Amino acid sequence: MAVEEKVDLDDVRKEEILALDAKVASNNLFEFLGVPSGASADEVRAAFREASRKFHPDKYFGKNLGSFRGKLDRIFKRLVEANQTLSDPEKREVYLAANPFVRAAARATTNTNAAFKPEARTETEEARDSERRQRLARHPYLAKATKVQEYLSKAKEHVGRQEYSQAVTHLNNAAQIDPLHAEVKAMMIEVRKGADLVRSESSFKHALEALNRGDEELALQALKTAVNANPLNFKAAHKTSMLLERRGDAREAASFALKAVEAAPRNVEFRVHLARLLGEAGMKAMAKKHFDEAVRIDPDHPEVKKHGKKLWPF
Amino acid sequence: MAEREPVIGIDLGTTNSVVATVQSGAPLVIRGRSGSNLMPSVIALARSGKLLVGQIAKRQAITNPTDTVYASKRLIGRKFSSQQMQEALKGLPYVIEPGEHDDIKVKLGDKQYSLPELSGLVLRELKLDAEAHFGRTVKKAIITVPAYFNDGQRQATKDAGRIAGLEVLRIINEPTAAALAYGFGKNINGKIAVFDLGGGTFDISVMEIGNGVFDVIATGGDTFLGGEDFDNAVIEWLAADFEKEHGITLKKDRMALQRLKDAAEKAKIELSTARETQVNLPFISTPTGGGSALHLQKTLTRDKLEQLTATLVERTITLCEQVLTEAKVKPVDLREMILVGGMTRMPRVQESVKAYFRRDPCKGVHPEEVVALGAAVQAEALTNEASDVVLLDVTPQSLGVAIAGGYVRRLIPKNTTVPTSVTEVFNTSRDNQTTVKIMVLQGESDVAHQNELLGEFILTGLRLAKRGEVEIDVIFDINSEGLVSVAARDRETGQQQSIQVTASGGLTQDELKKILEDQADLMLEARVEEEVKTKRLELKSLMNEVGELMPQLQQATQGSEFGQDALGKALKALEQARLAGESAELKKVTDSIDTLTRTVSLFRGVLQRIGR
Repeated sequence: MAVEEKVDLDDVRKEEILALDAKVASNNLFEFLGVPSGASADEVRAAFREASRKFHPDKYFGKNLGSFRGKLDRIFKRLVEANQTLSDPEKREVYLAANPFVRAAARATTNTNAAFKPEARTETEEARDSERRQRLARHPYLAKATKVQEYLSKAKEHVGRQEYSQAVTHLNNAAQIDPLHAEVKAMMIEVRKGADLVRSESSFKHALEALNRGDEELALQALKTAVNANPLNFKAAHKTSMLLERRGDAREAASFALKAVEAAPRNVEFRVHLARLLGEAGMKAMAKKHFDEAVRIDPDHPEVKKHGKKLWPF
Repeated sequence: MAEREPVIGIDLGTTNSVVATVQSGAPLVIRGRSGSNLMPSVIALARSGKLLVGQIAKRQAITNPTDTVYASKRLIGRKFSSQQMQEALKGLPYVIEPGEHDDIKVKLGDKQYSLPELSGLVLRELKLDAEAHFGRTVKKAIITVPAYFNDGQRQATKDAGRIAGLEVLRIINEPTAAALAYGFGKNINGKIAVFDLGGGTFDISVMEIGNGVFDVIATGGDTFLGGEDFDNAVIEWLAADFEKEHGITLKKDRMALQRLKDAAEKAKIELSTARETQVNLPFISTPTGGGSALHLQKTLTRDKLEQLTATLVERTITLCEQVLTEAKVKPVDLREMILVGGMTRMPRVQESVKAYFRRDPCKGVHPEEVVALGAAVQAEALTNEASDVVLLDVTPQSLGVAIAGGYVRRLIPKNTTVPTSVTEVFNTSRDNQTTVKIMVLQGESDVAHQNELLGEFILTGLRLAKRGEVEIDVIFDINSEGLVSVAARDRETGQQQSIQVTASGGLTQDELKKILEDQADLMLEARVEEEVKTKRLELKSLMNEVGELMPQLQQATQGSEFGQDALGKALKALEQARLAGESAELKKVTDSIDTLTRTVSLFRGVLQRIGR
């Protein structure tokens, strides 16, 4: 086991390195830097600096790191890449275009649908444009394209109102006419993500209702659906974790608690909960790390104070 | 616990060099044995055949112009045939010849010296100063280079360190070092700019400091813009005037040129405080047709100097604008502005900088010592665990490979934080292409030949296929020192090739090895005792290992002829090793280490094959 390898590193750092190294291949650079998806360039740069205090190879100059040396190099180079990509507007746009899932997650956190908002235009522009479109639409070669555009614009309207299932119908129609249409394909992915977000929310609601009725089994299923549909639904993840813990399944509870923390890294309550679960599962070093993080974020938080005595010292 | 091994930081400058260290938690400059903090980076061959370095070399320059080398930093890691070099050659009194690899050799007496050798002499002198200060051997050092130095110049500087017998922990950038010294022990958060106008080079860096992290945002500069160019402007003016008056070209006379240079530098320095100064060079020349000797006597005012050097100052400001734009920083966003390098003492430079940055430069740093101090701080940070300093430096120039059509495909843009690596896929450009030549370039031009060629290598044995079907991964890697290595791999066959890009204008591995071997007996003498000590420890652990392996092997090869033979030999080797360990003779000890290493690997191989 890599954690047991004898090198000049303490256990916490080893675990951190292993955890981050596992994420090197992941496409979500925001997640890799430990910032919320869609974080601003300044946040990204700050997170990169903070991470470099831990993971810059120079911090371990001349040390025996064994297999961790390679991992550390890999991690730092990936951090550089993440910072370079996300703090430059142009590169960030290219990256987001290539990774629609990340873009959707970024939207979900920043709550903007900027890409779908039509730009404000003057009336004459609008009139001239529509006249031109109609004239072109009558041309037989363009009829097909026009039809696709119609479906697309309808789909966009529905997306604007967050009616994703209707949007999917229109997009399917468009895809039947022109299966290779790039915008349709891209939007299909977006819409599916959007639909997932909505589904996640409604599943979460169902779960709460089921809980009120006392039907834990159904609630648990609905909660898991909610988390699966949107991994960033931290409320659902946290609730799932609490429910699982109550039902005595500490291992799975911890994994959902981790999801909650990943989705909302600055939430102290979630972190303390995770730390507690990890501590009970015997993963002392990880538990300590998360508790320390919670203390760092808000030392005066009631949860921190409440559990501080129980969890400290490790 | 034994006292920690001393580490030093060295500012290897164009005109002057400085060595510093961190002692009791504070960086300090080590005063040279000659009593001065600054050592001139001058090397000379005296008539007696002795090599002189530093103050003593500088002092005799006027009487010995052809055998005195100054500003060698301007030549290091460059190619003889480059245009910049050909320009520079015209103004040098000492003799330069091309080396085997289009590198530069300096002729002193009847011997040729490479640039790393010459810089190595300066470094060795500084090493000795440091050893006198500590009273013990000093091996570990950080050496600074201008941020805008390319890979070849960095490699060559590192070679110089090795030739001087130093273990170069790291090459770091001068402006970054200055910022480290400036930020040392203070809790600073914010963006700063470092304006470094030294003897030969100009650098401008913008960085952000926060919580001990020094994050370079952008850097730029010119490796041919410094005090030397200011001196040359004055020399040109003096010589042109003299020629007009007497019809004699002073620059052709090496002795006169050296005196002019000396006088120009002195006048320039004086004009930083005075409004005007006298240049007085009696008996500077004798007319060829006979007649009385000619004297050069002129008044140089500060205004005149500023007029002569106005374009140089302008260039620094243009570069500042460029770098600030790249960093997306406005002068008002800066918290502090640090001036580094002797040339920043010139009032005109200070005024221009003040006007552009709209603020007074930081007063708290010594422009000539701050870089060495910063190097010492970083050396301390690397070797001392308790240190909280992290340096995020960037690559000053873009890196790319030449692609078909004579263009460049850029892989790592400039101002990328190092260490970094990038993999990019390339295709063959012709049908049935079985080899590709990969040319590694550094620079900002889209046209290949306008960039600096760092090195080239050839990947052979590609499979036969239509153009574009064979895919080649090219992996670029830049380490924390800004040194580049490149690997290429055929995706299909997995065939690999890699190079540590050696400066095509510097030394090859073999040449460096030869120089190191030539000096081996010199270096060995100083450290022979220590070396024997460590080698003996190594020998002892090998003896233990063999001892442990022997019973296992005995069991595994029971009775076989081979086993008996091998064990007999091993026993003999162990006995020899024991004797060698007692003898304390380096040669014997290393020989025994070799024998035992072979024995261990043989035993291991046998045991593995038997399946233990």
